[in-house]
Amino acid sequence: MRGATGRQIGLVLPILFAVAFPSTLVEAQAMGEELFRSTCAACHTTNTDRLVGPGLEGVEDRRDREWLLSVIMEPDRLIAEGDTIANRLLAEYLVPMPNLGTTRAQAESVLDFITDASGALSVNTTVLSDAPITEDQVFFGMALFQGNTRLVGGGPTCNGCHEVINDAVIGGGILARELTTVFSRLGAPGVRAIIANPPFPIMQQAYRDKPITEEEVDALVAFLERADAEQGLHRPRAYGIKLFTAGLVGSMILLVLYSVIWSGRKRASVNQDIFSRQVRST
Amino acid sequence: MDVRSQISMVFHLDKCIGCHTCSIACKNIWTDRKGAEYMWWNNVETKPGTGYPGKWEDQDIYKGGWQKNGDGIELKGAGKPRSLTNIFHNPHMPVIDDYYEPFTYKYLDLIESPAGDDQPTARPISMITGEPMDIKMGPNWDDDLSGSPDYARNDPNLKNLSPAEQQAMFEMERLAFFYLPRICNHCLNPACIAACPSGAIYKRGEDGIVLINQDVCRGWRMCVTACPYKKTYYNWSTGKSEKCILCYPRIESGQAPACMHSCVGRIRYLGVMLYDADQIERVAAADEPDIVARQMDMILDPFDPDVIAAAKANGVADSTIDSAQKSPTYKFVKEWDLALPLHPEFRTLPMLFYVPPLLPVMASVTNVDNSEQAEKLNDISKYWPDNWLYDTSTRELFGTIDDARFPLEYMASLFSAGDTESVADRLKKLMAVRLHRRHVTVGDVDEDTVAAALSNTDLNGQLADDIYYLTSLAKFDDRFVIPPAHREQAIEMMEFTGDAKGSTGFGFKVGTAVRGA
Repeated sequence: MRGATGRQIGLVLPILFAVAFPSTLVEAQAMGEELFRSTCAACHTTNTDRLVGPGLEGVEDRRDREWLLSVIMEPDRLIAEGDTIANRLLAEYLVPMPNLGTTRAQAESVLDFITDASGALSVNTTVLSDAPITEDQVFFGMALFQGNTRLVGGGPTCNGCHEVINDAVIGGGILARELTTVFSRLGAPGVRAIIANPPFPIMQQAYRDKPITEEEVDALVAFLERADAEQGLHRPRAYGIKLFTAGLVGSMILLVLYSVIWSGRKRASVNQDIFSRQVRST
Repeated sequence: MDVRSQISMVFHLDKCIGCHTCSIACKNIWTDRKGAEYMWWNNVETKPGTGYPGKWEDQDIYKGGWQKNGDGIELKGAGKPRSLTNIFHNPHMPVIDDYYEPFTYKYLDLIESPAGDDQPTARPISMITGEPMDIKMGPNWDDDLSGSPDYARNDPNLKNLSPAEQQAMFEMERLAFFYLPRICNHCLNPACIAACPSGAIYKRGEDGIVLINQDVCRGWRMCVTACPYKKTYYNWSTGKSEKCILCYPRIESGQAPACMHSCVGRIRYLGVMLYDADQIERVAAADEPDIVARQMDMILDPFDPDVIAAAKANGVADSTIDSAQKSPTYKFVKEWDLALPLHPEFRTLPMLFYVPPLLPVMASVTNVDNSEQAEKLNDISKYWPDNWLYDTSTRELFGTIDDARFPLEYMASLFSAGDTESVADRLKKLMAVRLHRRHVTVGDVDEDTVAAALSNTDLNGQLADDIYYLTSLAKFDDRFVIPPAHREQAIEMMEFTGDAKGSTGFGFKVGTAVRGA
């Protein structure tokens, strides 16, 4: 033990120096860019292009810095509190900005990055291919969406959480937004951006280290576009109370069947009649 | 001839005093832990009685054991098709109330209760739920004929008796009972092994002990249904089944199993018997009256040179053969024909044998005038002014077997699949030995009676003395002849012991522990 202590001090000292004197400035900038690319870029650009949300060039001139920081940290609270600008933006862009649990330090580094990058450095991760969508893409997207084909990266299937009203697709989950009209709500760039680079915490977690390939994104966008365009033609059957009733009747039939199959079963203790005679304390 | 060795047991029921010491010894060593509280790998039952779990002998309820199917046999309540269709719902299993809900008492309340107007009481607490409970049952609830109308009267072995015979058995003056200690029979044709869907149960090759591998058991509980003696138990805590292991760690080190070692009445005997495994299938499928005789035929003479040669060819150790030649169980079961298996009609070929109880205790109260005696008593003494009498004694000292206090049909139902003759043979021998010894030690039995009794049972004075010795005088090493386990050979089959040579013991350079650090 005593011999080990000296070696430990030798290891600890350099670490202490590293923690005490970081190259603060450089690291903050790098963090801001990293954060913007991984979380903000799905919906925002640093020029004036509108994606899902507004382009952010010159945003620090248009808005108060404190207001911007609170939008980045807690957009849901701002809307709930009835902030006029936030609610006006919501009415214009239709999609509420999610609360990503950003800390104040992170928010400031992102804001600094936006200010630095404005105009000159355009961060726009979404590259739209001009090629028209093909039938194959739509079918491939449908297969991916409902899990007939697995995502190459091994990520979870879309309809585990999302539902799309489409006769060809089985019912999906209700854990996340229903996606039938997502295309008209967000447009192609928005949908692409969210699939390729999800800004939502749970979706991020679900697809961490399980990236969706470019081809898959194309196919899913194509499928969602088709589903949106044709939604009026699709009328999935609504089972309503009938499904419940069928289940109830089915289980009744099974119970009757079981009671016939196991009619000779041992039903109670062999001494049950003795026990029922016994005096109880309660 | 496929000669194998089996550690077999003999319980001499005439000597059992029903003290449950065996049960407690077993409990303390093996089943005093969570999930096993209700298990009694060894239990002692009063007969007549329904036993533990209740009515375990009634296979119409529990569907245990084997039944004849054409020329062969099949499991009554388990087996492949039944196990598969019932795998998630085993319909004939005993419930906890068939055993009993294990309980203890909240003793601490007796000393920690605050002062009050009432005496504190120790409430019964369930050992399963930990909640206060009403005790409904215990593992020996019907001990000594308690609750006879509910328990003894419902003994499944009474079904072959006529109502008049049953009535006679339960007349107050004739009422008798004996004890039946039970452990796993370590059968030659175990239903539990045949029923296990996981293949977790096995019969050890070297000594025939039946064990459940806890690493393989998946808790399907088919063995619980299949064992007609209800000697496999499900541990609700581990989710696996357990059973008597015949204290194999003790046997391997040359000690008698705990239940046998602790037996106060010294009723238990343990020794090796050689048997012919080729015959198992045919004997198990024999017609009911023949099963016992056929099982006895399976057991081989350890002095026969052919048997010894075949045993050696099969890998049976010389020391095991030597043990078989000295085996007390071989003497009781085969040489003297004194012991019988319990419920051979279950067709599992149990290797625990019972010397049936003779129960000769007779009482005779004659019509005497006891007024003179009453005069001597003081005023508050209780005395009976009426001179009522009863007499269960017989003309001769021990009476005859046909006058036995238990109808032979009852004994036959327990020990010989209904064959009264084989039970009567054994009882007559026991009686002859007693007459002989009475003649030798007391001398109030005349010689002709003794000679007749001995010759009727193919015994002679010397044999009777041998039986008497092993019954009454036998020392520890006479009662338990345990073959060496040869674990050193077993381990050499699996690993090279040279690898460990020089790596344990003294002479190692390791750091010295720092004191007080």
